[in-house]
Amino acid sequence: MSFALLSSILIDGVTYAMILFMITVGLSMTMGLMRVVNLAHGAFAMLGGFLAASIPQRLGVPIGLGFVLAIAVVALLAVIFERTLLRRFYRRDDLDQMLVTIGLMFVATAAVNLMFGSSVTSVALPEAFIGSVDLGFRSIPRHRLIVVACGLLVVVVLWLAVDRSSFGIRVRAAVDNAPIARAIGIDTTKIYAATFAIGAALAALGGIAGAEMLPMEPTYASKYLVILLAVVAVGGNGNLFGSFFAALLLGIVETSMKYMVPQLASAAFFLTMIVVLLFRPQGLFGRQA
Amino acid sequence: MSAVIPPMAMAAASRTHPWKHLRAEIVLTLAGLLAFVLFPQDLGLLTNMATVSIFALSLSLVLGQAGIATLGQAALYGTGAYVAGWTALYLTADPVVGLLLGGLGGGLIALLSGAVMLRSTNLTLVMLTIAVAQLLLELANWARWLTGGDDGLAGFEVAPLFGIWEFNFMGHTGYFYALGALVLVYFLVRNLVESPFGLTARAIRQDPGRVQALGGRVYLHLLAVYTIGGVVAGLAGALTAQTSKVANLFMLDFTTSAGVVVMIVLGGTRRLSGAVLGTVAYMTIHHIASTLNPYHWLFVIGSMLIFVLIVLPEGLVGLLDRAAAYARRLGGKEGTR
Amino acid sequence: MPASDPRYLEKKMTLKLVAALAVSLATLALQSRADVIKVGVIAPMSGPFSVVGQTWEGATKAYQKLNGTTAGGHTIEVIYRDLPDINPAQAKALAQELIIKEGAQYIAGLYFTPDTLAVAALAQEAKVPVVIFNASTSSLLERSDYLLRTSYTLPQMAVPVAKYALEKNVKNVVSLVSDFGPGLDAEKAFNTAFVAGGGKLLEAIRAPLKTTDFGPLMQRVKALKPDALYVFGPGGPATYAMIKAYNEAGLKAAGVRFLGTGETDEDQLRAIGPELLGIETGMFYSATHNSPLNNAAVKALAEVAPKAIPTVQLANAYDGLHVIYHMVKATDGKRDGPKALAAAKGFSWESPRGPVKIDPASREFVQNVYMRVVEKDSSGRFVNREFRTFEMQPDYGRIQGAAK
Repeated sequence: MSFALLSSILIDGVTYAMILFMITVGLSMTMGLMRVVNLAHGAFAMLGGFLAASIPQRLGVPIGLGFVLAIAVVALLAVIFERTLLRRFYRRDDLDQMLVTIGLMFVATAAVNLMFGSSVTSVALPEAFIGSVDLGFRSIPRHRLIVVACGLLVVVVLWLAVDRSSFGIRVRAAVDNAPIARAIGIDTTKIYAATFAIGAALAALGGIAGAEMLPMEPTYASKYLVILLAVVAVGGNGNLFGSFFAALLLGIVETSMKYMVPQLASAAFFLTMIVVLLFRPQGLFGRQA
Repeated sequence: MSAVIPPMAMAAASRTHPWKHLRAEIVLTLAGLLAFVLFPQDLGLLTNMATVSIFALSLSLVLGQAGIATLGQAALYGTGAYVAGWTALYLTADPVVGLLLGGLGGGLIALLSGAVMLRSTNLTLVMLTIAVAQLLLELANWARWLTGGDDGLAGFEVAPLFGIWEFNFMGHTGYFYALGALVLVYFLVRNLVESPFGLTARAIRQDPGRVQALGGRVYLHLLAVYTIGGVVAGLAGALTAQTSKVANLFMLDFTTSAGVVVMIVLGGTRRLSGAVLGTVAYMTIHHIASTLNPYHWLFVIGSMLIFVLIVLPEGLVGLLDRAAAYARRLGGKEGTR
Repeated sequence: MPASDPRYLEKKMTLKLVAALAVSLATLALQSRADVIKVGVIAPMSGPFSVVGQTWEGATKAYQKLNGTTAGGHTIEVIYRDLPDINPAQAKALAQELIIKEGAQYIAGLYFTPDTLAVAALAQEAKVPVVIFNASTSSLLERSDYLLRTSYTLPQMAVPVAKYALEKNVKNVVSLVSDFGPGLDAEKAFNTAFVAGGGKLLEAIRAPLKTTDFGPLMQRVKALKPDALYVFGPGGPATYAMIKAYNEAGLKAAGVRFLGTGETDEDQLRAIGPELLGIETGMFYSATHNSPLNNAAVKALAEVAPKAIPTVQLANAYDGLHVIYHMVKATDGKRDGPKALAAAKGFSWESPRGPVKIDPASREFVQNVYMRVVEKDSSGRFVNREFRTFEMQPDYGRIQGAAK
């Protein structure tokens, strides 16, 4: 394998993995924390992308600010959804939770279709992100490097937040044993809402950052649902590094196949998932059920 | 809980009124005949309702009764369709042979994949079922020479049913073929569910650990249920292929699996009748919504799903139960049931 | 005997069969005596391909605006039924409903091949003419004697592009297609014609249909250093990604010509815009085709359906309805499948796309194929400017297949 090919696989694979990580980390956290399977998670990424595509134009604000606003709006929508709808399903069984979130996904898809039409919508990037960087053996689009940097930043920030901050301690307490956490005064309701909102915001960020590789269209949420769930399952629920490494593993496997035998790329992705799940059903870093 | 009580009540009823045992099947047959008389020009839609109902029954058995979380049932449905197509193309155009072989095909794939997957539970299991279905889809796409790829498998003839009734464009034979199959399959599955086998399956859904402790072989039992579910799904796929004369990749798709799950939720997951009710309701609403304004179907189905889950967790069957209980209270005839 | 007993069913069935048959036939007879001829169009009105359904609906309305709603004294009513995705069972049910319930004399539309296959089987039995507005697999027309098509096939488009490439001194080429029916058709047709003309095929890459990141594939193309890259994408996000990847990999700067087919369709031009500049494609219709008829059709479309985009689907549906009008006139509004088809065979007319003809033997649709390049017009819009015409191209899929 030539150096050029290997480095290409690494660069593209890591970029893809970072996007997957950013979108799925919120889902993993939600599932680990609240034990809720939110199949509409992809919709948050989708909404983020579509809002980022339209807010700068509609409100006439600079693109960077538009991105921030898009993420904020998605976080707000997530909190509203969690408070009004999702909350009722915490005690219901897994299937019912999955189904109500599928219902939400349908509604989100229909809403996006209505507001933005059914074709692909491109997200305009700020000037600084456009263009390529020439590395000699190949050129990389500048924004891919930024995506990688973004992903790494998210990992670091989340790790500090979860491992080091008092918020993180409370989140982990609530994950480990919710009744006891409540007994010692941790407000699990606020924690759930906050975690859900952060997860959605990260998904929106991932959607915006990844809009070049995963283009924005109304069927985005359902199209990538299976891939998102795969990353979460392989990584293990509720585990930050699990999500990170699962994304890296699956992303690099699929990308390397794309370079070498493109027709088997998708199959390789699923085979990897199956192999991991058969040997470690709780995921790479998950805890035994 | 209520699913455990009827068998005993049924057993008591059969001594005095044997036909009460077949209540569900009789209602189904009469409803099917009534539909034929009332909507003779919508047979295409009605035939599809019948075939998809059988598919829904397989999922009701696997998911509703035994609690096996699956979003990949379409793999077995699609397999049945392709096997029926190949039978018609290379073996014999006799529909019943194709139907049975399709069922066997579905059962075989279910057995093979279930053997590997059923050691896992919950999310892992769901993901595995999705992955298996996806792999099967990729395989079918790759084997163009065998499956026709994304163009689909077509050009096969379907011989007259039992050598007598021709399948023609008016759709009568197709409809009764599908309806007959539905009633028969319903009868068989219902008996299975009401037998000790079915009881064990429900017990496993509610508490696998306890069943294990009582000496039951959970894994084998689930595998058996999953395989039977595969046979039923295969039958449904074969019927679809035979009545539309095409088998195609979309029948293996994740969206197809998800669609049927939505249907049984609408109808009520815990009861077999919910599968048929949910399918009919879903497809009827889709048909009407499509004709009125096709652009907003996803809104309708999404909202309906959320509505049913919050307001009617037991599905339409639950609604009917409540209505029947209310009527009985008003009538005041039978005391215990 | 229990209700599931076949003998019981048989008795009920025979009676109901006779009754229903009588009712249906009576209804059919009634409707064909009336002066309204219904055309049932099965189209994706909802879902990811709803743009197509919208354009078809707009196109048929535009046709009726320009040509009136009657043909030979009979009123033509176009009704639509939604089929958002690939579902042959549903396609068949819709066709059955249109023929039996609505009494449609003609079926039209059909975007996907599997759906068309299901309807073809029905058409053959019912002897109802079906005009395909899109499904482009070559072998489809062989499935029934009652199928016609007013769209295109991939080989029909690919071969002229290969000829153009040879004209422009392209010595070697890499082909990159999406791994599905039309893509494979395009790959085979282009490569066969290109190699037969003395060119060299460096590699034939097939991308899985769901691919949205063409970065790796474009890098591979770059490494092979061809003179040109022949592409077929399925439209939507994949094409968008393909074009972006082509530009980002610097292939244009490296002198690799991009030769495509339908990638620059008018809705893509609007969605993607500047990245498409300079791309050359071979296709059968451009909204800026400069003929009085086309200008009138595009204008009429904008009036009756302001949201619809004048893509190739405009030409497809417009011509499809034109053929139906012709068949209605030929059969004097009566239900006569064989007579209608006989009239359609050999029929030639001026379409918004240029001159077209239905081949009398194979029923294939013969039309001009234009080489176009994406430019900005005077009002700043992105358009496909036609600069070279390959006249009256047949379906090469048939020809290349027969030569084997």
